Amino acid sequence: MAEMKQRSLEEVKALSVEEAVEIMRQAGIVGAGGGGFPTYFKYKNPQPHLIVNATESEPGYWGDKLVHKEYLEEFLQLFEAMKAIFDFEQISLGVHEKDREWFADYAEHADEGVYDMRYVPNTYALGEEKTLIKHATDTRVPRFLDTPDGSRRPGMPPDVGIIVNNSETLLNIYRAWFLGKPLTTKFFSVYGEEMDIKVYEAPIGASVSEVLEIAGLDVETSSHLSVIDGGPYLHDMAIEELGTGHDAYVRRMTNSLFLLPKGRQGKEYADIETEPPEEGIVSLVGEISGVHLPLGGGLLTPATPLVSEGDEVEYEQKIGEPVDEGFSIGVWASAGGTISSIENDIVAIAGGAIPQEEAEAEAEPSMAGGASPRGEAEPFQEAERSG
Amino acid sequence: MAYVIVEACIGTKNTACVQVCPVDCIYDGGDHFIINPAECIDCSMCMPECPVEAIYPDDEVPEDMQHYITKAAEFDYSGIAPGVEVN
Repeated sequence: MAEMKQRSLEEVKALSVEEAVEIMRQAGIVGAGGGGFPTYFKYKNPQPHLIVNATESEPGYWGDKLVHKEYLEEFLQLFEAMKAIFDFEQISLGVHEKDREWFADYAEHADEGVYDMRYVPNTYALGEEKTLIKHATDTRVPRFLDTPDGSRRPGMPPDVGIIVNNSETLLNIYRAWFLGKPLTTKFFSVYGEEMDIKVYEAPIGASVSEVLEIAGLDVETSSHLSVIDGGPYLHDMAIEELGTGHDAYVRRMTNSLFLLPKGRQGKEYADIETEPPEEGIVSLVGEISGVHLPLGGGLLTPATPLVSEGDEVEYEQKIGEPVDEGFSIGVWASAGGTISSIENDIVAIAGGAIPQEEAEAEAEPSMAGGASPRGEAEPFQEAERSG
Repeated sequence: MAYVIVEACIGTKNTACVQVCPVDCIYDGGDHFIINPAECIDCSMCMPECPVEAIYPDDEVPEDMQHYITKAAEFDYSGIAPGVEVN
C-alpha cells in the first residue's frame, strides 16, 4: 500500500492518512530545516492547521527560497493533496516580510483558496516553530505544560493544533507521493570566505571536501580555513582544518557549508549578505565519487541494512529497512556503486558517475581508516585519511 | 523582541540556557542570569531548556516580574563576558 511509485494528483488525494504517512516513513523523510525530526511522526496525528516554514533565518541562506521558486507547481499540487489527505482546515505559507516579492507567485495562487500567506517580521528565528507560530497566528504555544502522567514538558505546535513543516521537507514529501522518489539528496548553500555562494542539491552522505572542490576551492591548500555545517549563528564544526586529511559528510539536515578562517567564530559573519546564485540550484547527483549514508543517527533508530559489503547498488535502491522500535526510516542509495563498508550504522558506497579511476582515487581517502563519519545530529567525528 | 530571565533563576542559575544560546547573549548578572536584549535574536532556544521555567518572551512576562525587563535593558554588560564565569 505504501509502494514507492508515481501517482497522479487524484491518486495521491485518495491516499489514506496511514498510507501517506507510511510512504513518508519508507521514503526516509526527516526535517530538512535542521531538526532532523522524522516527518512521518508529525502527520500521524493530523492537526487543523499546517504552517509551511519558508523563512530562512541564517544570514545568507537561499536554499528554501530557491526551492520555492523552482518548484511552484509541485508545491501547489502538494498543498491540494495535503488538504485532501489530512483534512487541514488551513494551510499557511509563512514568509518573511522582506521576501514578499520573491513569493509573489505564491501570493497570486493563494487566491484559489487552498492556502494563505502569512508574512512575519524579519526576525531571526532559527526556523523555530514556536516563534513562527507566534508571528503567523494569534496563537501562542505554551511555554510549558503538564502532561496526563504528571510530568511537565515544553509546549509543542500540536498543543495548539498546528503542524509546522519546512519547505524542503515538503518538497521531499511531494517527490515521495507523486514521483515515488525516496529521500536521497539535500539542498544546501556553500559560501563564506573565499567562496561565492552556490546552492547545491547533493547526495546525502557526499564528502564535504569533494563538494568544496566542486565548488572551486583547492582544499589541499586551504589549511587556513575551517568549514562549519550550518550558518553563522547555528552550526556544528565540520572540518576544523581543511586539507589535512579530515573529512565530514553531507547530512540529512545540512543546510550550509560555511567557510571561515580557522579560529574565527561563525557569529562574526552575522552581517553577511548574499545574492542568490545566478545559476540557481546546481545538482551534484551522479557527480560524487562516493557517499557515507547513516542508517540512523540523532533521534533515529538505525534501519536494518538490506545490503552487504561488496554488493553493487543502483541509485535510489533501498538499502535500509525501517525497524519498529522508536523512530526509524527507510534508507536509499544516494549514489550507485559498490558497498565498500557497513560500520557503525554507516553504509559507504564507492562509485558514482565520474570515471572509475578518478572515483577510486578520490573515494579512498574519505573512506579509509574505518573511522565512523559524522552521523546525524551527533558530535562530529572526523574520518581521518590514512593514505 | 527579546527573552527575559526572571526570579525563578535566583538560587538556581542552571547554565542550560547559556549552553544553547547561539549568540552568547546570556550573562552572569549576579543573583541570576540575564539576557542582553540588544543581542538577543528572539530565537527561543533557551526557553525550553530552563529547568525552573524562568525564561519568558518579553511580551509574556508576568505582571509582577516586569521589573526584570527594565533591569535587563539597563544592565551594564560592558564589563563582563557572556556565559559562565570560569576561574
